[in-house]
Amino acid sequence: MPGSLAFYHPTTLEDAIGLLGEHGDEAKVVAGATALTILMRQRLVAPSALVSLGSIPGLDRIEEVDGSLRIGAMVRHRDVELSQIVRARIPVLAETFGKVANVRVRNAATVGGVLAESDYASDPPAVFVALDAEVEVRGPNGERTIPARDFFVAFYETALEPDEIVTGIVVPVPAAGSGTSYHKFVTRSSEDRPCVGVAALVRLAPDGSAADLRVAVGAAAETPQRFPDYEALGRGHVLSDDIVGRVADAYAGAIDTLDDMRGSAWYRTEMVRVWVRRAIESARDAAASGPAAH
Amino acid sequence: MAAAAAPMRVPGMLDANLRVRGRVPYAMDLNVVGMLHAKLLRSPYAHARIVSVDASRARALSGVRAVLTGADLAERDDIYPYYGPIFRDQAALAMDKVRFAGDPVAAVAADDADIAQAALELIDVEYEELPAVFDVDAALAAGAPIVHDEPPRLGQTFADIIVRAEADTNICNHFKLRKGDVERAFAEADHVFENEFTSPPVQHVPMETHNCVAWIDAGIINVTTATQMPFAVRASLAEIFRVSQAKVRITTPTLGGGYGAKTYTKVEPIAALLAQAAGRPVRIHLTREEEFVTITKHGVKIRMKTGVTNDARIVARQSTCWFNTGAYADIGPRLIKNGGYATGGPHDIPNVWVDSYAVYTNLPPAGAFRGYGVSQAAWAYETQMDMIAAQLGWDPLEFRMKNLLEDGQAVMTGEDMFDAHFKELLGSAAERIGWDSAEQPQRTGSKVRAKGLACIIKGTVTPSTSTAAAKLNEDGSLQILSSAVEMGQGAETALSVLAAEGLDLRLDQVSISRPDTDVTPYDQGTSSSRNTYSMGTAVRMAVGDIRTQLLELAAAELEASPDDLELVAGRVQPRGVPDKSIAYGDLVRGSRSGNLLANGVYASKGGLDPETGQGIGSVHWHQAAAAVEVEVDLDTGKIDLLKYHAGVYAGRIVNPVQAELQTEGNIAFGLGQALFEEMIFDGGQLQNGNLGDYMIASMEDMPKEISLGILEHIEANDIHGIGETSLPPAMPAIGNAVYRATGVRITDLPITPEKVLRGLRARAAQESAE
Ligand SMILES: Cc1cc2nc3c(=O)[nH]c(=O)nc-3n(C[C@H](O)[C@H](O)[C@H](O)COP(=O)(O)OP(=O)(O)OC[C@H]3O[C@@H](n4cnc5c(N)ncnc54)[C@H](O)[C@@H]3O)c2cc1C
Repeated sequence: MPGSLAFYHPTTLEDAIGLLGEHGDEAKVVAGATALTILMRQRLVAPSALVSLGSIPGLDRIEEVDGSLRIGAMVRHRDVELSQIVRARIPVLAETFGKVANVRVRNAATVGGVLAESDYASDPPAVFVALDAEVEVRGPNGERTIPARDFFVAFYETALEPDEIVTGIVVPVPAAGSGTSYHKFVTRSSEDRPCVGVAALVRLAPDGSAADLRVAVGAAAETPQRFPDYEALGRGHVLSDDIVGRVADAYAGAIDTLDDMRGSAWYRTEMVRVWVRRAIESARDAAASGPAAH
Repeated sequence: MAAAAAPMRVPGMLDANLRVRGRVPYAMDLNVVGMLHAKLLRSPYAHARIVSVDASRARALSGVRAVLTGADLAERDDIYPYYGPIFRDQAALAMDKVRFAGDPVAAVAADDADIAQAALELIDVEYEELPAVFDVDAALAAGAPIVHDEPPRLGQTFADIIVRAEADTNICNHFKLRKGDVERAFAEADHVFENEFTSPPVQHVPMETHNCVAWIDAGIINVTTATQMPFAVRASLAEIFRVSQAKVRITTPTLGGGYGAKTYTKVEPIAALLAQAAGRPVRIHLTREEEFVTITKHGVKIRMKTGVTNDARIVARQSTCWFNTGAYADIGPRLIKNGGYATGGPHDIPNVWVDSYAVYTNLPPAGAFRGYGVSQAAWAYETQMDMIAAQLGWDPLEFRMKNLLEDGQAVMTGEDMFDAHFKELLGSAAERIGWDSAEQPQRTGSKVRAKGLACIIKGTVTPSTSTAAAKLNEDGSLQILSSAVEMGQGAETALSVLAAEGLDLRLDQVSISRPDTDVTPYDQGTSSSRNTYSMGTAVRMAVGDIRTQLLELAAAELEASPDDLELVAGRVQPRGVPDKSIAYGDLVRGSRSGNLLANGVYASKGGLDPETGQGIGSVHWHQAAAAVEVEVDLDTGKIDLLKYHAGVYAGRIVNPVQAELQTEGNIAFGLGQALFEEMIFDGGQLQNGNLGDYMIASMEDMPKEISLGILEHIEANDIHGIGETSLPPAMPAIGNAVYRATGVRITDLPITPEKVLRGLRARAAQESAE
């Protein structure tokens, strides 16, 4: 029968993982379904089994554990955006999720979904990479964690095994004295996905120099781009225009930018240069105006 | 006759409450017993010969009730399976060859849409790919592949269009305008400017995609369809099925947006042919991806030459317009006329020469789109106005003011302008935005601000016809039978107001029908910003007739002269004597006619001479201006709209809320097309044919501050259409502001951040070289 599709609503992770094992390539996990329905309608994927995570308890929590926030896979974008604890502890995360698409999408799309989809033009991945977050996954052989940096492998490809499920993500709360920023730059409608998105974290030492500097660039290449060597150009220095400019130039030079309807490769390189600079400046200024560094 | 009642005002839209609650039925909500669902198999190639189609496996699939291919249609002589408002160049299913990627080649009706979709995959089509042409230059080059190699099959709908399809070329039609002596004027002009401007194809994106339900019942072909033109669809189905128009019934509920996409015949023929083949009702409802390749706005290249004198008078203009009309003519041959003459602009130019071509290519067909060719023309002439002003050091406002048409001056099509308000509109737009020609761009950090202006003229379809009928019931309530299409623009509310005020009734005593070609009288269509004016006139005529009948009935009853009577709140009375009043209902009952009946017929005259393009271009001229302040980020090229003023002439404002909403809608349409909207093709394949990849403006893209100047001159006693009028100035006003802010002049829409940044870099490189 054409179009036949089994829809499963397992109530435990074990059952969900079991179903994935049983159906193999034919199965797809479904969370908020904002990405999956489009892929199915465009016939880019044609699963015969959908495994919903919606009936598994416990995946929709946000909690603080040992100086980190643990965000469940089924937490919706809108929940992150409005969460009091996220706003208080890692405001840049709330802001970033608030910049995704529009409120209708955010009310359905989940944190696990945006991670597993690994679309190069999503906003949250760059922030997760900049904040050294770790993705928690579970499969038939139990749990493991994958640093966000290693999780995004290529276009629509992650480090997940076919029968593994994202259960959540652990995001360390930035140390005191840190400032963070995420700049989403769109070239078409304000509801578009980013042409480039840049996340930055700056922690200032008491002498005003940067004790820590992290920069991740999203939407410019297949996966979020972070270059510790170029972050090092800023670490230990006062983040003057000159230093910031050098980091921005290094990122612009290092990223093999892609070409799409939101901008050519040339334009993206120029935008990486502009927005890396602006993201570092914003993070630096936020750090400087935040609670005193110590 | 007694004087007309004072204009009535109405807040908003009568069915707003139902709309907000999702209770307004659309064509897609109709369920007919036994209804099947259709899907279309579309060509993957832009241009290919159909070698063979084998649908046998699809026909064998369980749940499939009918399968049609081009060959099935070609072999029948009881039908004529072609349509198109001017040329019958589009077949219900492609026969010998496909002409664009998306051209339907086979159709399936099945018990549900999934089965129909699955059946499509069982149809084997063998194609032989042909060389194809996608842009107008390639299409007109010597030896170019020919999109239509047969002579055009003509219809009779548009007697005023001269067919100049040139054999063995891709020229679908050619419009000419010849006024004065341009050659001499260019020779005598102090300065001559020549520039090229382009606009890309864009999508209408109505929220509701094309859809209809067709069924054949006791020899009557019934179609409930989302169309802006029920009578054009009826004529076309009668022709296809070789039956009289009396045997075709088209009904049209509220549309979920049209914007021109739903003018003329689209999906109705194939739905009706499938219904006939299956012997059951058939629904077809296009997906968004199909909608993208059903009809588009014309992509255009315009070469414009303009001569001016040292005292800033425009003395000559010559424009050549190449409208890319895609694989089928649709209404292209007419649109190139409006778009062509529009290049004359709202200026008093004694010498004008226009050649406007519709050019066939292997892209999806282009047709009517809000603005109807005028947006593309205005993008050219209003951009060039600023280029000339910049070059010669003139104030763009003053330069325009010197040349804008006034009453009594000849418009480009030769007739005298009347009821001209261009100067008033542009002047107040400039004032509202705080225009000051000496003002320098204001720079803060990387951001720079500046302002831009534009002013346009637009015709409405002329000649044209609308008719309406009125029935006054025995309780004194009034029913209007009209084929006006409600598509969210507020047709029902506007016509209710015009009908109610003619008899001094309350709005709840008046009803406006939906189009039903079995019942409601003829209307040319709801397009060209014409409904409130044209259908409104027909309604007012019908209601005026009822009024006369009431006065005569009451005069007999009261033994008075009709001239001494007045209509007040549903009663007729001797002037100032309410005690002697008689209710309308009593007059109707007394007349023993059951109801009072009347007709109204609005039919405008006009048209243009085929050799000179002179005559009457429009019954009256629509007028609009825009002023905008932009902020450009010099590091990124990104443009923000800070302030926007839209000025439009309405004659009389029938419904203030709806007039404002139409104007705001035009701003949203305009800024999308100015800044990012563009259908991108690669080898004839649409690259962004869905709403993830194709962007339209969202609420957050709207200018931070909007002001509207909907100009009313009640004394002119005229209604001007405002549905499209304020759209065309948006793009050039924004482009002009970007130029003033950055010195970067973009002549090819859209004005993307990347184009602006490249322009800034080019300027910087040039400056450092100097
Ligand atoms: C109109 C629109 C605009 C958008 N704009 C933006 C934007 O501006 N910025 C942006 O960042 N994103 C944007 N998005 C993308 C959106 O954020 C993603 O679609 C969303 O995050 C996916 O989440 P979901 O829960 O709906 O995933 P689903 O659609 O349910 O799933 C997506 C994929 O992930 C898999 N999956 C889901 N959850 C899990 C899990 N826990 N474990 C393993 N695999 C899983 C599914 O199998 C599927 O392959 C936009 C989307 C739309 C529709």
